[in-house]
Amino acid sequence: MSRLLFVIAGAAVAVLVGVLLPGGETPAVVPTRPVAVAQAAPAPAVMPGSTASSPYTVDGLRAKQSLLALWQGRLKRAEDTLASYQRSTRYPHEARPLSEHPDQVRPFDPIADDIPLRTPGGDAAKGVRVRTTQDRVFASGAESVRFTVRAVDESGKTLPLLVTRATAFDLPDPRQVAGRPQAPVNFTDAGSGDGTLSAVLQPSTQGFADFAGTIRLQVYLNQDGQLGNVYFDVVYQPLVPAEWAGVREALSNGSLDFFLKARVAQPGRYVVSARVDDASGKPFALLSFNDEVAAGAQEFRLTLFGKLVRDTAPVFPLTLRDVQGFLLLPDKFPDRAMLPRLTGAVYTSRSYALASFADTEWSSEERDRYLAELNKDVSESKQQVEELTR
Amino acid sequence: MRKFMRAGLWALGALMLTLATAAVATNYSLWINGRTGGGVLGNYADFTYWGPSSTDAGVNKKSVNWDGYNHISDQNYLVRNALDCYCTGTNWCYVAAHSAGDLMIGYTLSMYGGSTRYKKNAVAGTNGECSNSDGSTQTGWNIKWVDVAAGAGGGSELADAGDWAVSEPLVSDLKTSTARAMYDHNNTRSAWFYMYAGAKGTLYSFVLPGQDDEVVAYHSSGGVSGSSGGSYCNPGDWLCNDLTLGTAANQGGRAKWTNHSVVFRDDAEAYNHYTNKAWGGVVSKVRADMVANAR
Repeated sequence: MSRLLFVIAGAAVAVLVGVLLPGGETPAVVPTRPVAVAQAAPAPAVMPGSTASSPYTVDGLRAKQSLLALWQGRLKRAEDTLASYQRSTRYPHEARPLSEHPDQVRPFDPIADDIPLRTPGGDAAKGVRVRTTQDRVFASGAESVRFTVRAVDESGKTLPLLVTRATAFDLPDPRQVAGRPQAPVNFTDAGSGDGTLSAVLQPSTQGFADFAGTIRLQVYLNQDGQLGNVYFDVVYQPLVPAEWAGVREALSNGSLDFFLKARVAQPGRYVVSARVDDASGKPFALLSFNDEVAAGAQEFRLTLFGKLVRDTAPVFPLTLRDVQGFLLLPDKFPDRAMLPRLTGAVYTSRSYALASFADTEWSSEERDRYLAELNKDVSESKQQVEELTR
Repeated sequence: MRKFMRAGLWALGALMLTLATAAVATNYSLWINGRTGGGVLGNYADFTYWGPSSTDAGVNKKSVNWDGYNHISDQNYLVRNALDCYCTGTNWCYVAAHSAGDLMIGYTLSMYGGSTRYKKNAVAGTNGECSNSDGSTQTGWNIKWVDVAAGAGGGSELADAGDWAVSEPLVSDLKTSTARAMYDHNNTRSAWFYMYAGAKGTLYSFVLPGQDDEVVAYHSSGGVSGSSGGSYCNPGDWLCNDLTLGTAANQGGRAKWTNHSVVFRDDAEAYNHYTNKAWGGVVSKVRADMVANAR
């Protein structure tokens, strides 16, 4: 009987593996041989007293060395991946050193560009650069967008520039009715004394109040007879999904929580970020929130993780500043509806002793899962290297 | 005797379940295409965009096809479907992306990398969706690292300057200011993006700043941070800042996005942007890495 059961079990396992691995997929638990190298290795020359597959032939030894180099590379990659993940995830993904997010430190700074003066498909005008700024790409509700242009020569000296025409129009979109009238936009001297021309577009009052999509501002330039165009895109969504309603804080489980209160009109996945500076003005943390939120009075919890505070020892009180938020609209375009920007200092924390914060690393099922798998990869590669160096 | 047999079969069932759970832990290599697309959506065996499907391209390779025409956000469900299928439960993934595929995987991880996912059975229907395995969930996906060939995460000046058709939705996503504002590129959920940057570009050199592969400039393919592009070159060009290898800040001080490392810079200007449906251009370098390390 026991033999019968053994036979049944063997057959069943064979069937299972066949069923569960469609297409002959290679299971991860079976270490694979490095096919590319095996194929690339030249056929070993047969020497007296050895076979073609013998590791004692010159070619056999060469193939083994090649295989060893491959596995050493894999081991290095596995070790780097493990060490990096372990180091990175000592803090949760939602509470990071701001230095890791270099372009998120000043999120509301205008986007500055420096481009050649040219028309589409044309050559660039010699010795003329166009410097542009745009203060945001995504806008909702009654928000407006400011643009600037100026011309300079190769040494950065201001050149005279004319905006001969500027119009805003909707980019073609199969989901929108075409034929919306173009809106003229007026560029005037910005008064900065360096020849900068500026304009403001407020979609809600300039013909786009019922439009969701990309608005393109096309600007025609004339620099002393040389022509060129620049384009600015604004992704506009009339919907304002929520309004801010204040901030509170609470020290909890060795971390400091900032609760951003909001009146949520449209439920869904909200993505919110805020920066934290210490009392000396040093930027040190980027906090984020990304989760489903119901309609009504809600709080977005941004957690300043205890160990991040312990490791960086900021000077209290802390300032929460430059808050960005939007409702993420999955699988749609536009994919977001913005909350109003909260620019500059938004909230100042109380002062706490450093010892109030926990010094323990982030712990979660996700982190455990990754560390287990990445450790396994290191072990397997190490084993292969050891076998090849015996 | 019958009782004994029944008990034995139950034990066998439990054993099989245990074995099944352990045995199906599988690694996959997911390939995410860029602009133009070409593969049938949801058909993970269709490598039309890349080249012959018989070519080795990493363990258990899957082609994550999206149309390469519509907006990143519109098409993103196709990538999430693939990640759900092959990168949840006991299964793990290596990801390779080309051009706008960089924008696609970056957007996915930044926006949805911490979302709750159902564990799937890695058996895809014709629409590219897989069934739940046991009804349980996990946070995010199981991704070991990402290889990026000619990444367009930082956009392309060809989209800025009106050189590409304005009627194409993806082109407006690829405008440098839009691509860079679309999501926090530093937030990769701690996955490494290994960047492969080509420099065999000549045709659009007056539009694309610094070194380029004819579609994207080094500021994008090298993962250079910032809200706009910039001019980055191979070492030796006195008029242009160097794109550095690895994670170091570039000449001139501008940092790379976190978890982005330049592993290939085309100093010999030998690799262009195009796969030519033959795993060509910079993709050839990524394919070699996937063959060697995605196992």
